[in-house]
Amino acid sequence: MSTAPGSSRRLMLKGSRAVISLAIALAFLFPLYIAFITSMDTAAHVFVYPPHLTPDFNFHPYVRVWHMGRWMMYFRNTVFIAFTTIAIALATSVLAAYALSFFQFKGRNVVFMLVLLVLMVPSEALLIPNYVILHEMNLLNTLWAQILPFGGSVYGVFLLRQFFLSMPEAYWDAARIDGASHLRFLWSIALPQAKSVLFTIALYIFIGSWNSFQWPLIVTVSHNVQPLEVEVSRLMLAHSVDWRRLSAAGIMTTMPLVILFLFIQRHIIRGVSRGEGINE
Amino acid sequence: MPNLSAVPRTARARSRHDVLKAVLFLLPMFAFLLIFTYLPAGVSLVLGFFHYHLLGVNTTFGGLSDFKEALTYSVFWTALKNTLLYALYMIPATIILAVAIAVLIDQKSRYYAMIRTFVLLPYITPVIATSIGWLWMFNPQYGILNAVLQALHLPTSQWLLSPTMAMPSVALYTLWHGLGFNVVIVLSALANIPRQVVEAAAIDGASAWTRFRQITLPLLSPTLLFLVIVTTIATLQAFSQVYALSGGQGGPEYATTTLLLLIYQTGFQYFHFSYAASMAILLVLLILGLTLVQNWISKRWVFYQ
Repeated sequence: MSTAPGSSRRLMLKGSRAVISLAIALAFLFPLYIAFITSMDTAAHVFVYPPHLTPDFNFHPYVRVWHMGRWMMYFRNTVFIAFTTIAIALATSVLAAYALSFFQFKGRNVVFMLVLLVLMVPSEALLIPNYVILHEMNLLNTLWAQILPFGGSVYGVFLLRQFFLSMPEAYWDAARIDGASHLRFLWSIALPQAKSVLFTIALYIFIGSWNSFQWPLIVTVSHNVQPLEVEVSRLMLAHSVDWRRLSAAGIMTTMPLVILFLFIQRHIIRGVSRGEGINE
Repeated sequence: MPNLSAVPRTARARSRHDVLKAVLFLLPMFAFLLIFTYLPAGVSLVLGFFHYHLLGVNTTFGGLSDFKEALTYSVFWTALKNTLLYALYMIPATIILAVAIAVLIDQKSRYYAMIRTFVLLPYITPVIATSIGWLWMFNPQYGILNAVLQALHLPTSQWLLSPTMAMPSVALYTLWHGLGFNVVIVLSALANIPRQVVEAAAIDGASAWTRFRQITLPLLSPTLLFLVIVTTIATLQAFSQVYALSGGQGGPEYATTTLLLLIYQTGFQYFHFSYAASMAILLVLLILGLTLVQNWISKRWVFYQ
């Protein structure tokens, strides 16, 4: 067959593409794997050269690191901060987006521009003044200091407004004829349809909040209001040679996000494809 | 006639009624924006020009003295140089690698969907927690990176302990963490390129490289501009990874002191607030300036469909 050389060449191209792609994927997983192995090393197996690549399945470092800090408390703080931020940011952006799409009033676009203006203000310009403001409000070193500054989500308003504007106006007209108020319409008709948008916004706030480090580092000093990342950084500075326990702490705090990601990666990939970064 | 009230009101009547409600709906959002964005944006300017102290000492007007102090402080210039050099490594590396990987894995199958998932995975991991594994990989004595280099008979490195290699090492970590974001964006841009154009060129006998250079790349250029701007902003704001990989110090010998780390140290370790605020303003101006320059350059070569 005359097509044989061409098709075998194509097959080889296909094969090498698959192999190189796999190598790249493994390279991205490798640093997590190294931490995983190190977290399970036996004491004699850490400082060996060359490094080994198979886990010892020794869970002792996890037990040890678990007893080194009040992990449940840091975990609770992290979850509380994330979920409260999500609740507040969703509430404020739903109301604002609704007003910007279902109410007719003069200057509606100006108001929307005022919201978008926030995107122009870089976060590092706000670092010190927000610290001063929280100081003046007596909120430094509290869980709220890590929640309230993120209570207004421009990104949330933007996405929800876009969604609400795409809803047929006839829905609202019909609801009003049935005597529904704006709040009633929002709650029982508009929001249920916006579920997937709400989920995307919540997801991004969750990841950003779980991974935030600089802000909690700045505004908190007491352990009992700090999130996981700050505790891990403290362990890093205090036990810089205890690789097994540090790695165990790293794996422990990374795993919840990795598991979450593997379950809902479709959502995340769709969000990223639209060019939405995660606020860190 | 009771059902008269059900007749839609005129737009004007509705608007008068709606204004009050609209204000109520907008109020919570604007309360947050006012307190935590508009107000602090103003305060940051004030802080730059006044000497502010947390503990009751009177605020005094300092004029440009804090800016002057920043501009004559040698560590500020070191931090500026580090930050710009870091951006210089990161921008081309990010764009080239993202395009290369995206073109490679731009295939419709479950296999490549899985590859894409793994490439994006590091992006959602916490920086401090995942930098631990990297610190261990960078370890000059026991780390895997030197072990691999040695196995390949290549010169080994001191990585984070070497003043010249420390910043590139941080860049390596950041590429690992953030490249997936860029790859996914390029993939979605590739999906929007009309297939017929590329196929027509192939029928006309254009080689794969020519098709890439003449068709794919120009059509990708708006996306690449977006990524250049996003990467520039992200690298100029580098903090967590530098903090984690240098033990919060920015060393060795200030080699990894970025502007934001210096601002953090000045403001929150030494509590020179006004000084830190004036450096923050300079950083903001730098970001703004670079974004404008990139926008201006882009008008010359970005191809819009």
